[in-house]
Amino acid sequence: MINISIAGIGGQGNVLSAKILAQAALAKGWQVRSAETTGMAQRGGDVTSHVRMGSDGEPVHSPIPAKGTVDVIIAMEPGEGARSLPLLKPDGLMVIARTGMPPATADMKAKPYDPATVIDALQRQGVNLLAVDDHQLCAQLGSRKALNIVMLAATLAAAPAALAGKLTLDDMRAAIPQCVKPAFVDMNLAAIDLAEQYVRHLQA
Amino acid sequence: MKGNEAFAHAALEAGVGVVAGYPGTPSSEVIETIAKLHAQGVAQGVHVEWSTNEKAALELLAGASYAGARCLYTCKQVGLNVASDPLMSLNYVGVKGGVVLLVADDPGPISSQTEQDTRRFASFAKVPVLDPATPEEGFAMLKQAFELSEKFRTPVLFRPTTRICHASTFFDVEPATQARSAEGFVKDPKWVIFPKRSYKGHGEINARLPRIAHEFGGEGYAAFNQVEEWSVEQGGDVVRAEASEGAEAAAPAGSVALSAPANVSAQPGEASAPNGSAAPSASAPHMAIVAGGISASYAREALALLKQRARAKGVNLPACRVITVGTPYPFPADLVRGALDGIHEVLVLEELDHVLEDEVLKLAGAAHLDLLVHGKLDGFTRDRGENDVADCLERICSFFVEALVQQGFSAGDVMAALNVTASVGSLVEQSPFDQEALEPLIPVRPPILCAGCPHRGAFYAVKKAVGKRRNARLCGDIGCYTLGNAMPLDAVDTCLCMGAGITVAQGFAVAEPGVKAVSFVGDSTFFASGMTGVANAVYNQHDITIAVLDNATTAMTGSQPHPGTGVTLMGPKTKPISIEAVLRALGVECITFADPLRLEESVAAAKEAIDFDGPSAIIFRSPCTKLIKPAAPAVHDAEACTGCKVCVAALGCPALSWDAQVGHPKVDTSLCVGCGLCVDLCKDGALSCPSRTEEGGAR
Repeated sequence: MINISIAGIGGQGNVLSAKILAQAALAKGWQVRSAETTGMAQRGGDVTSHVRMGSDGEPVHSPIPAKGTVDVIIAMEPGEGARSLPLLKPDGLMVIARTGMPPATADMKAKPYDPATVIDALQRQGVNLLAVDDHQLCAQLGSRKALNIVMLAATLAAAPAALAGKLTLDDMRAAIPQCVKPAFVDMNLAAIDLAEQYVRHLQA
Repeated sequence: MKGNEAFAHAALEAGVGVVAGYPGTPSSEVIETIAKLHAQGVAQGVHVEWSTNEKAALELLAGASYAGARCLYTCKQVGLNVASDPLMSLNYVGVKGGVVLLVADDPGPISSQTEQDTRRFASFAKVPVLDPATPEEGFAMLKQAFELSEKFRTPVLFRPTTRICHASTFFDVEPATQARSAEGFVKDPKWVIFPKRSYKGHGEINARLPRIAHEFGGEGYAAFNQVEEWSVEQGGDVVRAEASEGAEAAAPAGSVALSAPANVSAQPGEASAPNGSAAPSASAPHMAIVAGGISASYAREALALLKQRARAKGVNLPACRVITVGTPYPFPADLVRGALDGIHEVLVLEELDHVLEDEVLKLAGAAHLDLLVHGKLDGFTRDRGENDVADCLERICSFFVEALVQQGFSAGDVMAALNVTASVGSLVEQSPFDQEALEPLIPVRPPILCAGCPHRGAFYAVKKAVGKRRNARLCGDIGCYTLGNAMPLDAVDTCLCMGAGITVAQGFAVAEPGVKAVSFVGDSTFFASGMTGVANAVYNQHDITIAVLDNATTAMTGSQPHPGTGVTLMGPKTKPISIEAVLRALGVECITFADPLRLEESVAAAKEAIDFDGPSAIIFRSPCTKLIKPAAPAVHDAEACTGCKVCVAALGCPALSWDAQVGHPKVDTSLCVGCGLCVDLCKDGALSCPSRTEEGGAR
């Protein structure tokens, strides 16, 4: 069983990432279920997408994983990564974007949100982290809209133990044409290549 | 595709001819999908509509069914309250074309006023209900529901919950569908409900329910009501009873076996076991889990995890039977009674009400079974809210410990065997991470009105208008505008149910003379259930002011059209119904108008209506931000700004924040849609919107 959760806020494109993973799992003949869980807010609130894949041919019953059973959390923003931490397996991987999204609130008494502090705190707790310079990568690609593809590709390029050999970057590349409009295929493939280079560079 | 999309395909593949409902989370995508397929030309012969409200939808479908069409009704759980009048009677009259009511329940609740259980409604209405554990099961069930409806001439409830409606998986669906043709209406006295007819109809209902219960317990529904055997020893996941016989494998070396208590024969249950059977073999389970809906899927997942962890720790656990019930009413008692053979302890896992638990208890009483039943009633499981896999896992672990103690083991032995030191919860792994320590660092993302939402201006203007009157009651309603309750607007004192703002205000006006009662109502809610309240105010001369927040859509549930828009799901646009004309026709004599994004005119319009003696109305007209392209964002002039904070503190707009470092407000240009409300509020002239002119708003 491979469980991947994508934690972010509305509008960050979690749902497309989940769709690509589901499509890749289908191509392998695995049973797959996905779902979204949301926080209090309908708009601008936190949204976590879950994809559960029966990678050993086992049945997938629940669309939502149990706490402590997620192999990889893709955090589209640091605060949401921290919020979803209880889902992560003790030895799971969190791939986390460095750029924070400030909350849409007019509360003047709210403490300012500092994404870097969140990443530090996660590191201090011993969370297995891969922090991604999403700002730099999206700037190179010319759009923040590439964030979801960059983060998913970085995850698959990092090949954590739970995915290694089972679900690869090439599986993601193969799923792209079924998940996006033809006009956007090349753009997405370019984003995947960039994220792959980035991770290879980090690992080198 | 999502469960709801799959259900739309299932209904179309079953030949549904007429589809009607009212939007409500988590049900709305079913009708949206059918409308989309109709617009694409692949769903042929179907009529699909958003009706004015749930009652209108179900009554329309009753007529279509009398004429022989297969009918699908959709709503959320509270929507069935609105349609309960036609449902109760329709069950007495009976149907001709199959009538299936897809009523989506919302455990949590995530986006509802109540956590009511439609399975309970089914038994109250004496209507059968189907309760899917997965979207795939729901797909099959929904098709079968039409057959069931026609076979027994009964309406049939189909009740998925949020996690079924909104979970996605892959489906094979027909590329095109054709609605089954309706045979036409045949005149008969049976279609006219009368006391004599009702007495006969009640008899028909009472006669068919046991037949339906029997059918639910039979082969045709075996896929939805499953009996499976679980144990740590067997291979595979959860295996079927038939396949498991004799499949006894050796426990892992060094394991502690707890499955065959030495004193089992001393159990009082043995003497009264059904069929007077002798003590069961060591492998025959004494324990069972009964589950329904998504909880059945959670239980299966939890048991798979438990098996994995127990094996890893070399712990053996008692065998357990898993009984899943997808047809909770009328309860397939014979089937479940058979499955409880030899069972002495039951754990019931279900969300919302204790429906299955009641049925198992009833069965235990009626059949004199020696059965201890755990669930919501004895506090063993959550009494409300959602279940999940981790929670089910904990309850199941507790259940094993409890049961072993009941079977004569000492609690200490059990704890040792399960490798538990302190509490039950046993094999549930504790996270090494400390989420609580992180909490202060995580930003809070509360639900608030969108940047540029016209409701913000309406609430602000009404508050300004009643400002000096301490005794004003602000009665809210159901929709995005319930969020008018949030700080800093704080403009909603009450919220009850659809349309109630208008009538609750009348209660205040009567009970607290001199109080100014203002009700807020959205345009869709106005048509759904606001009009009767307006008639009541005029008829009984209640001094209230109705603030209609007309944003030209049903925003909360995803921008569905309504009678005030004239947009229909069948394509052709009809003449929109004017809210003003309705209010005038109902006798409201004072009606004022305002663009809620124009502060001065809004406050003036609100004052005029509120000052009027008798029922009055203010119509605030401005489209939802989701319907229009954003205009250029507001510009802040630091030179002119005196740092008074009013713009940030009074409006609560997410696009305006306070930059404490420079002592000025900051416009988030990615969120601001240039509505201009803050421009009107700023006394310094420090905020401006390029697209805003004197003559009219940015829109």
